[in-house]
Amino acid sequence: MKILTVCGLGQGTSLILRMNVEQALGDKGIEADIEHTDVSTASSMQADYIITSNELAESLRGHSAKVFIVNNYFDMDEINKAIDENIVN
Amino acid sequence: MDAILWIATNIFGEAAILLGVIVLLGLLLQKKNASQVISGTFKAIIGFLIISAGSGVITDALTVFEPLWKEVFNLSAEPLGNFMGQEGFNAKYGSAVALAMTLGFIINVLLARFTKLKFIYLTGHMMFWTATIFAGITIQTAGDLSFGKLVIFLAIILGLYWTIQPALTQPFMRKITGNDNIALGHNSASVALLSALAGKWFGNKENDSEKIKLPKGLEFLRDSNVITALTMGLLFLVGAIIISFKDTPGAQKLVEAAGDQNFIVYAIIQSFTFAAGIAVVLVGVRMFIGEMVPAFKGIATKIVPGAKPALDSPIVFPFAPNAVILGFLGSFVGALIWLVVLGNTVGYVFVPTMIVLFFHSATAGVFGNATGGVRGALMGGFITATVVAWGQFVMVKILLPDTVPDTAMWAADSDMFVLGPIIRFLAHLLF
Repeated sequence: MKILTVCGLGQGTSLILRMNVEQALGDKGIEADIEHTDVSTASSMQADYIITSNELAESLRGHSAKVFIVNNYFDMDEINKAIDENIVN
Repeated sequence: MDAILWIATNIFGEAAILLGVIVLLGLLLQKKNASQVISGTFKAIIGFLIISAGSGVITDALTVFEPLWKEVFNLSAEPLGNFMGQEGFNAKYGSAVALAMTLGFIINVLLARFTKLKFIYLTGHMMFWTATIFAGITIQTAGDLSFGKLVIFLAIILGLYWTIQPALTQPFMRKITGNDNIALGHNSASVALLSALAGKWFGNKENDSEKIKLPKGLEFLRDSNVITALTMGLLFLVGAIIISFKDTPGAQKLVEAAGDQNFIVYAIIQSFTFAAGIAVVLVGVRMFIGEMVPAFKGIATKIVPGAKPALDSPIVFPFAPNAVILGFLGSFVGALIWLVVLGNTVGYVFVPTMIVLFFHSATAGVFGNATGGVRGALMGGFITATVVAWGQFVMVKILLPDTVPDTAMWAADSDMFVLGPIIRFLAHLLF
């Protein structure tokens, strides 16, 4: 399973989100390959899931991956909830 | 002795290998499996080498941008001069920068462990730029400093900065985020504080930016590649059109450089080349920072109980998305004003790279809005443009003209401009 975490610059916040998602998935025992990147790069990358904020999700509409939203990148409750709702293991 | 010399030349002397070793250690400490360790280490090394490649592309585009606008302002077209540039600088001092960055982080962790300032700085790409720019200033001031002195000097300054900066912004962060769990770890602290103060004194808190509805058409402003290409494209286009109507020898020389290609098309291609160069550099930074920061964080949280992560500026954006756009608009207007003012007064061609302006003014916008509403957010943007424009001028002309002025033109930020003169003073005093 390939997951992208996405922010505007693809450097800082998407990396924090990646680390938090890695932790959340680890706790659930889900194996995944996660990369963090910027929104332009993400549009041309293959993935099963893309996790990003509300504003950027707009620009990724039509991507073959399932795009879902986490607005607060460091809120573990929101991240866990989003994963439970969207990722089919 | 031979072994030490060999290690010094081949590991400590080669920044890419040194970073690879640091990341390798980090990954081993985290007990990652073999495949993760190998891919992480390789990506760190490749990433660092990509940065130099991208820097070359940016510099090429800047060597068109600079004379173009100099000609527009009728400034005598002396070239950028002989400087090392990011590529050459990395080759010579990259290892010192990488090591100073790592030791600086260790100092940050120790200070967090033993003082009340519990902040762990985790914005890796900013760590790298700050270390690079500070190294550039130090080398410019002190000449060819010994490896050890340079590393220790930089590591102490960086360690202190990364610990104190989040503490200074934290009172406002509590106000913005409504909790005390995360801190800001970003070079925009100085403009964020200035705009929070400006918002307090001249703003109107009642008129909160989040009450207004912004048009959906502004969404594209969140994509860094698009804003960079767009704004540089506009500036190249305007400059090229003015040049096309000029008949001076300088203008003719510029047009000749385009060869058979139409000059305006040529200029537009340059603006996209500039954006492409930045995209390349960021890929490189992402590759090595993405391996380094998780390792750093894993180590830090084990050592420091109650540590608070100091994170990249976009963490404040969701708390006031409109203020982000308002801050950017304020700084865009400010940048255009300062481009003309600097060109006509001190004769400096300001490179208003949106990647710097956007993230800093957006942060300033959120801070300004927290104390002064819409007016505070707009002022925050304008303040950012002012600090960045004049700061870039001082940085490129005085603080590091021979080392990495190219990097200072697109990746030097608010806090570096404020701290730059202090670094220069200290380097002068000590070496």
